[in-house]
Amino acid sequence: MIMIRANNISMNFGMIKALKNVSFELEAGKILGLVGDNGAGKSTLLKILCGYLQPTSGEIYIEDKRVQFKSSADAMKEGVAITHQFLELVDMATAWENFFMGREITGKGVGPFKLLDINQMKELTRKAIEKYGLSIDLECEVGKLSGEERQIIAVARAIESDPKILLLDESFTLLSLEGREELVNFLKKVNQQHNVTMIIVSHDLELVKNLTHKIMVLRGGEKIFYGDTEEVSVDQIVEFMLPQE
Amino acid sequence: MELANSKSNSRGKSIRNFLGEYYTWIMFIVLYIVAGIIVPNLFTSTTMVTILVQGTTVCLLAFGMTFAMLVGEIDMSIVAVAAFSPMISIMLWEAGLPVPLAMILVLLFGVVVGIFNGLMVTKMKIPSLIQTVAVWWMLSGFVLIVTKGAAKTGLPDAWMFMGRFNVIGRIPLLIPFFVLVLILAIIFARRTVTGRRMYLVGGNADACAAMGIPVDRIKIIAFVMSGVFAALAGYVLSARMGFVSARFAVEWLMPAIAAPVIAGVSMNGGKGNLINVIAGAYLVQLIVMIVRTGGVGGYYTDFVQGVIVFIAILINTFRERLSQ
Ligand SMILES: Nc1ncnc2c1ncn2[C@@H]1O[C@H](COP(=O)(O)OP(=O)(O)O)[C@@H](O)[C@H]1O
Ligand SMILES: [Mg+2]
Repeated sequence: MIMIRANNISMNFGMIKALKNVSFELEAGKILGLVGDNGAGKSTLLKILCGYLQPTSGEIYIEDKRVQFKSSADAMKEGVAITHQFLELVDMATAWENFFMGREITGKGVGPFKLLDINQMKELTRKAIEKYGLSIDLECEVGKLSGEERQIIAVARAIESDPKILLLDESFTLLSLEGREELVNFLKKVNQQHNVTMIIVSHDLELVKNLTHKIMVLRGGEKIFYGDTEEVSVDQIVEFMLPQE
Repeated sequence: MELANSKSNSRGKSIRNFLGEYYTWIMFIVLYIVAGIIVPNLFTSTTMVTILVQGTTVCLLAFGMTFAMLVGEIDMSIVAVAAFSPMISIMLWEAGLPVPLAMILVLLFGVVVGIFNGLMVTKMKIPSLIQTVAVWWMLSGFVLIVTKGAAKTGLPDAWMFMGRFNVIGRIPLLIPFFVLVLILAIIFARRTVTGRRMYLVGGNADACAAMGIPVDRIKIIAFVMSGVFAALAGYVLSARMGFVSARFAVEWLMPAIAAPVIAGVSMNGGKGNLINVIAGAYLVQLIVMIVRTGGVGGYYTDFVQGVIVFIAILINTFRERLSQ
């Protein structure tokens, strides 16, 4: 089954053509590595897939159904979760508030007067973060946490929302080597156990080789390569990424 | 030994945190005691009740202002709403509208102005300062046109019941009502999804949008809250004073800005404790009262209020620097 299909996606920011007629499809349960030089259009593509940006032209299908997301909220309803390159955390808010923002848990009350179940949110946040071998002061403002802790909060928040499609945009950059390895193993586990389809952007090509089933290379907003991870070597990928004379 | 030590340390720390969190209350209490030395009768129950009752207006306006500030905006139209809503409702009552409906209409005006401000700020991207100052002048101007500047007295008894009927001693019914409203507002801000989201939106609206929070809707609701609180402030003031006028509540604009700012509500959004705003409001109320009764002439009040706002901003900025 095809989980996600993009058809001739183009994105212009004024004069800048960030994406030019990009098409691809990804089977359910597969992990796609999205690579390319800075400015290639990787983040833009993910932002379109998660509803944060609307493409200038082109269509997106999820499980063969045409979707036209007007906002991230629309995409979340369809089971798309993302960790943005710049994390999108509210620095002044606590870890648990960031973890549950947009999908708060409520208890007693009716309608808009439902009260938040703060204790449960704290408990679930603590449990989720522990899976990554971290323990974080849940009442601490996330602006005061380390880069690694912030990144884990942002990644765990996307994974724990139980998505069909998980998008990770450079979610390894702030992690230590062990942290990366642990996250890669965790993602593999999530992928196998819950059959989550993933698109992963990373500059760490070894990591991409190790984690993904498919690879797509973008250059200057164009799709240069799409194929099985097994079929290409790291050197070939680098070759695709480099600017052509 | 070490364990006991760390325990008492952490207790010391949590007491310090508590004092840091509620420093506005400490400032209020200290100033009250100090002022008591200068101003006569400040410790009598009569004076205390008077201050409690008089402070309701500033406090409700300050709560309204706080909701706007939490989402990173400002609402300068609150004082105009406080005059417009009761004034127009009273005029409609004179034209035959039953009192209960007129009273509901007061709140409805607050809601409508809030929605209008919210829509213009979020959808038309008009800076809230400009938008709400324009609405302030439009509403005040409209009231001047329809009243020709004359105040309305002879409000219906049912309207003034809250201000005139004493529940115990000299405490009017509006005090329990006021306390209930404040408690509901505090619970709303701290414990409901929408309330908490106001803080998040004020903290980082882009992150909220990325996480699927409807930022515009949250901001509009914040403006509705400020409109409703402004309308309530106007109603409470009229029920207490027994009249409404075109320039009603205008003098409380500066205090309504100063109170949340003194209480540590961030003018950039995302931060602020409503419990402290109560202390901030009564602190400002007390200062204004001291200036009035302290023998300095009426010409000084505007100047002093300006200075208070300025000092409040300085204290707040200094505190935000420190905490970073
Ligand atoms: N909001 C924006 N406004 C204008 N230009 C943008 C915006 N976002 C991205 N771009 C441009 O689009 C191109 C692709 O950016 P991006 O998708 O962030 O690349 P990548 O994530 O691959 O490094 C770049 O030239 C970038 O400058
Ligand atoms: Mg990027």
